[in-house]
Amino acid sequence: MSVPGTVPGRQPVIAGLGITDMSKRVYGKSASQFAADAVRLAAADAGLAVSEIGGLLTNAGISRALGMSLATDLQMRDLRMLSEIQSYGASAGAMIQYASMAVAAGMVDSVACVFGDAPLEPNLGAGSGAYGGAGRQSVGYSGIQSASGIGSAPTGYALAASRHMDRFGTTTEQFGAVAVSSREWAMKNPLAQMRDPLTLADHQASRMITEPFHLFDCCLVSNGAIAVIVTSADRAQSLRQPPVHVLGWGQTHPGYPLERGSEFGIVSGAAISGPEAMKMAGISLSDVDVAEIYDCFTFTTIISLEDYGFCEKGEGGAFVASGAIGPGGDCPTNTGGGQLSSYYMWGMTPLSEAVIQARGQGGERQVPKHDVVLVSGNGGILQHHSTLILSPHDHS
Amino acid sequence: MSVGIVLRDAQSADFFDATAAGRLLVKRCQNCGHVSQASTEMCPQCASVDLTFADSAGEGVIVACGVVNGRSKDGTPPSRTVVGIVELDEGPWIYTQFVDIDPDAAKIGLRVRVAFEQPEGGEAIPVFTI
Ligand SMILES: [Zn+2]
Repeated sequence: MSVPGTVPGRQPVIAGLGITDMSKRVYGKSASQFAADAVRLAAADAGLAVSEIGGLLTNAGISRALGMSLATDLQMRDLRMLSEIQSYGASAGAMIQYASMAVAAGMVDSVACVFGDAPLEPNLGAGSGAYGGAGRQSVGYSGIQSASGIGSAPTGYALAASRHMDRFGTTTEQFGAVAVSSREWAMKNPLAQMRDPLTLADHQASRMITEPFHLFDCCLVSNGAIAVIVTSADRAQSLRQPPVHVLGWGQTHPGYPLERGSEFGIVSGAAISGPEAMKMAGISLSDVDVAEIYDCFTFTTIISLEDYGFCEKGEGGAFVASGAIGPGGDCPTNTGGGQLSSYYMWGMTPLSEAVIQARGQGGERQVPKHDVVLVSGNGGILQHHSTLILSPHDHS
Repeated sequence: MSVGIVLRDAQSADFFDATAAGRLLVKRCQNCGHVSQASTEMCPQCASVDLTFADSAGEGVIVACGVVNGRSKDGTPPSRTVVGIVELDEGPWIYTQFVDIDPDAAKIGLRVRVAFEQPEGGEAIPVFTI
């Protein structure tokens, strides 16, 4: 099945991937500089000159320091598409979707989609850049939440997780199983920042951040950038890399009501964007070989797996504790180590690993069967969701 | 951790006038009677914009709960601040901090009641206690 409305030959594919060095903490560059590097790397990976790229979509991370001026930095001219995209952790998926639609419609030949961030500074922990909630001026109704001590992402997700634990009996040890499986994958990934062995006991002994979350329930924070080039299947035939077809996609922004009956913490946007993406791709869940799930926190992986249908609602904890998502498991998930152990590039973390797996370039961590790869993006405190279905083959 | 400073804006002025007097406001729909958060501008049930402030009884139940741990300095135990979401008996949810509560006893399902804290230089904001 091809994307509805596609001009013949213009089925969207991912033809280039550029990842800046993130194997350790990298300082001394701005988010825009990292992003420029990533676009150059992605173009070179595809076998394109930057001047041949027809469109640019940017997504700024925590430091909010990346925008359309990147096109000027890269001397890109006469672009047919240039925008800043923001749906937080769902942005990478969203950028690929908008680029795919533009390519399929014949509006533009190739689009660079880039995320860049540089929140870390030397000698300052992640708390200074990513999750600093204190000291902000709080105004009006929305200020009450942060003034009450609920300004940070770990706390927002901890509250969501507490509801899942209360409703379904999900446990901190089950959260820990996600961290352990992610680390087992990361140990096979030369791009990953955290490659030391991690046990469930290590997870349980790590300091509390916002209970129920331990330190190892929380993602890394990274400086760097990742770019992806979207073009048409016809154009990709003459490019360097095997194309990765974008078969289907979806977004959901649940808009949880803040009142009795809300499903916040119980059901994520994957429950809608997942089935819609698979329907567009003409596949079913049993066709998915690899899952790359946005994992800002261990809990996010569990709720997303449930909502995609990899297990029953409420059984995500037992599912991950069975070892299903780790190396050798039946449901290979976050095969590069995810944001928990590999690198934190918002939705570009699962997307970049999906491209690597779909191409069959995963080296020691390559999943043997990789015909269909599902990519989950999640933003805000479960407020934004995107799904992509990728494949090395055109399924039409 | 005690509550931080919040400044009023035009939208929240009536709400903070009430908190200063020890009252917690919600919005009531004049069309269908649905009660929602004070910040609501359109009824989530019937889409009416004919909403007026009403007093909440200030009681409810914890529906989400977490304990923010401070960073431990020189070996002293970290601070532990209990935060969460309260579902008021009238239905609306409110993000809040819990005071006078044992962090190890705080859990979903506990009945709580509103109180107010007013830090120097800020508005009085609702907190909840057992
Ligand atoms: Zn109404």
